[in-house]
Amino acid sequence: MIEQHISLFSVSGLFVFLVSSSIIIVLRKLWLSRLHRIWVFFNFSVAFWGLFAFLFGKENNPSHALVLIRISFIGIIFIPVFLYHTIFILCDLKKTGFLKATYYQAFIWLLLSWSPLFIKDVKFVYSSFYYSDPYFFFHVFIIIWLLIVFISHFELFHTYLKSDYKRKNQILYLFLGVAVGFSGGITNFFPVYNINIYPFGNFLIAFYCIIVSHAIMQYRLSDIRVFITRAGLFISIYALILGIPFAIAFGWQKELVQLIGDNWWIGPLIISTVLATMGPFIYLFIQKKAEDRLFQEQLRYQATLRQASLGMGRIKDLKRLVTLIVHIVTRTVRLEHSMIYLNDSQNKRFYLGASRSRKVRFKPKSIIEYDSPVVNNLSVYKNPIVYDEIKQRTQDYGDLHLAHLEAEMKKIDAALVVPSFVDENLIAIVVLGKKISGQMYSDDDLAVFSILANQAALAIENAQFYEDMKQTHEQLFKAEKMATIGTMADGLSHQINNRLHALGFIAGDILDTIKMKKNMHMPSELREMLIEIEHGLSRIQDNVSQGGEVVQGLLKYSRRGEEGFSEVDFDHLIDASIEMTQFKIKSGSIRILREYDTKLPKIKGNFTQLQEVFFNLIDNAYDAMMQRKEELHEEGYLPTIKIMAQNTQPDFINITVEDNGIGIKGEDRQKLFTPFFTTKLSSKKGTGLGLYVIRKLIEDNHGGQVKYESQFLRGTKVHIRLPVAYT
Amino acid sequence: MPKLLIVDDEIDIREFAKNFFKKRNIDVFTASGGQEAFEIIESEKPDLVLLDVRMEEMTGVELLKKVRDTGNNVKVAMVTGVEEEETVQEAENLGIIGYIHKPLVLEELEKIVLKELNNN
Repeated sequence: MIEQHISLFSVSGLFVFLVSSSIIIVLRKLWLSRLHRIWVFFNFSVAFWGLFAFLFGKENNPSHALVLIRISFIGIIFIPVFLYHTIFILCDLKKTGFLKATYYQAFIWLLLSWSPLFIKDVKFVYSSFYYSDPYFFFHVFIIIWLLIVFISHFELFHTYLKSDYKRKNQILYLFLGVAVGFSGGITNFFPVYNINIYPFGNFLIAFYCIIVSHAIMQYRLSDIRVFITRAGLFISIYALILGIPFAIAFGWQKELVQLIGDNWWIGPLIISTVLATMGPFIYLFIQKKAEDRLFQEQLRYQATLRQASLGMGRIKDLKRLVTLIVHIVTRTVRLEHSMIYLNDSQNKRFYLGASRSRKVRFKPKSIIEYDSPVVNNLSVYKNPIVYDEIKQRTQDYGDLHLAHLEAEMKKIDAALVVPSFVDENLIAIVVLGKKISGQMYSDDDLAVFSILANQAALAIENAQFYEDMKQTHEQLFKAEKMATIGTMADGLSHQINNRLHALGFIAGDILDTIKMKKNMHMPSELREMLIEIEHGLSRIQDNVSQGGEVVQGLLKYSRRGEEGFSEVDFDHLIDASIEMTQFKIKSGSIRILREYDTKLPKIKGNFTQLQEVFFNLIDNAYDAMMQRKEELHEEGYLPTIKIMAQNTQPDFINITVEDNGIGIKGEDRQKLFTPFFTTKLSSKKGTGLGLYVIRKLIEDNHGGQVKYESQFLRGTKVHIRLPVAYT
Repeated sequence: MPKLLIVDDEIDIREFAKNFFKKRNIDVFTASGGQEAFEIIESEKPDLVLLDVRMEEMTGVELLKKVRDTGNNVKVAMVTGVEEEETVQEAENLGIIGYIHKPLVLEELEKIVLKELNNN
């Protein structure tokens, strides 16, 4: 048996085969994407060729070698075809004519490859292995092969010119790959044309496949400058580390022998050990310096952001905090815009906390619902979302979920979305627009933003807590005030009562004197004056008695006193209640409709207390309608209060006060009658005591009933039942 | 002439109540506190006392007790702003003709006073 001599060429073929096969195995997982599929075919062609190059490279039998060579050409024929197809998909080209042409020509060459018109015979080259001896069509084939490759890269270049930063970066990788791989691959043709250079370049073909695969598969491709710097540095430094000792060993062998003697090889060995040890440190040092220079800009803002993260915790005011965050981010990183959305767990959505943009008229979306794709994605993966990546994935896989996510991100103008988590809670969402420079977001960027966002989450939680505390504090303070007033009510009411008592007495006595004397003889002006004084004093007496009832009413808050019931005329009562809110009704342009019979039987009740009740109802209605006006901005919205009353049951009068305000949400309804509960816009508007008092006065004092009916965004109805007064 | 004693720490009440009843030919005495009232009750022996419940040095009930303790059954009407359970009970035990609430209606006060004084 003739010994099979394995040539270096054959080894290079094997190497290429193994690399491309590995790539295929890795890519199998990504089979779904068209791009990846065609690239797999490309690697298959390369692997195919590599395998047969390995085989014929070590084949000693010429006729066997010829067969193997011809088979290996099948791979070579399809290499440019799949290359062009890959670039066709990558650059999203439209004209399929040329693509189809490449496939047609490939099949023609496939048929032709077996003919001696193509490969005539084999020749022994480099005293090492057999290679193809070309005939006429071979040369044509080579020209077309090169042409297809050239056109592929021409399209690539064309696309480069009109691409964004990310795409440009990717294409540069491809060009780098070509520079490396195809220049290596060209050496394959040297033996054919009898150029006496060994086809070492084959090894480089494998690198081409690796580089381009990396560029296609990676969604977050690092900047090519980084890649070249690192690769270049690595190669240079290790070339020196390995090369210097070798150079010394071979170049200065004689001198070393003279210096050290027989064990001259110790010299190079020591030098190589020292260099190898220092190597990594030198590499890291130079790499850091180079990348610092390359990414000056990024490092600058990353440092600023880190500092900002630390300072955030000190700000207690929520509004200021979020405004500051978007301000810093937009300015430092130099973005088109940025926004921050805060979690509103009551309403199950995220609302816009603050935004900042270069453009003056920037109107970001004000709400992100809980069920939006962005929120879902963030909740599940807890990682920043890069718009370009999602877009790419959607194009590659056509996944509907991703498409929704992409659309949503576009709607909210997001180039990058960073979540702010505290433990498991998504406190806020930070939305960043594109960088003004057009550069893409690097891994470092994402890391820094994530830190910033999570620090922000803590700071926001703090600020919210602080605000809640302030509110509770305010409420407690108010409650205390009310309680104090309650205790003071006793002493105060006695004091006020005494004043009223004195006033009444004085007025009464003077009136009595006038009554006694007014029929005396006197000039008419004097009599007129006397009548005027009499009238005035009578009014004073009325006020005194009313004042007395108010005091009694005040005391009801602290304890039960005498009821002070009388027959209350409903119409009169409503008049009085409306009078207490005259200003609000006028300023809010509120329409009041009264739908009841003015001959309604009288109510058994305390006028002042009932006035308090209806005043509170009208006041609440006013607030609800103003809230609706301010929040919904409906055109032609007429705030209206309808007051209805009927004597449907013999012993009771059923009253309904209806408004078309904003209404109460379901969850809030139970809390309505508890003291201090209020949904009013600002706690300054109401102490929240209204409904509690109403219930107490109607049910406890009057023996009536209060029922509440409300629909969010429709309005509220309060049903009150009061007993009829029987004389 | 029937005699009326008005006990009230309010100066206006004393002045104008006195005015009012003087026009009705009633002899009116006034006292601003418990001690003064007690002395007048002893010396003038009024037919009716209008007694304010809440006063500074001695409460109305205390004065009433003091008076009753001397065996004096003079007619007393309590004038009060707010009803307090214990006071009501105590006063009723000591014997009063009734309660008048502040702020009062002058005509009603007139009616009550005249009725009581005429009963003598």
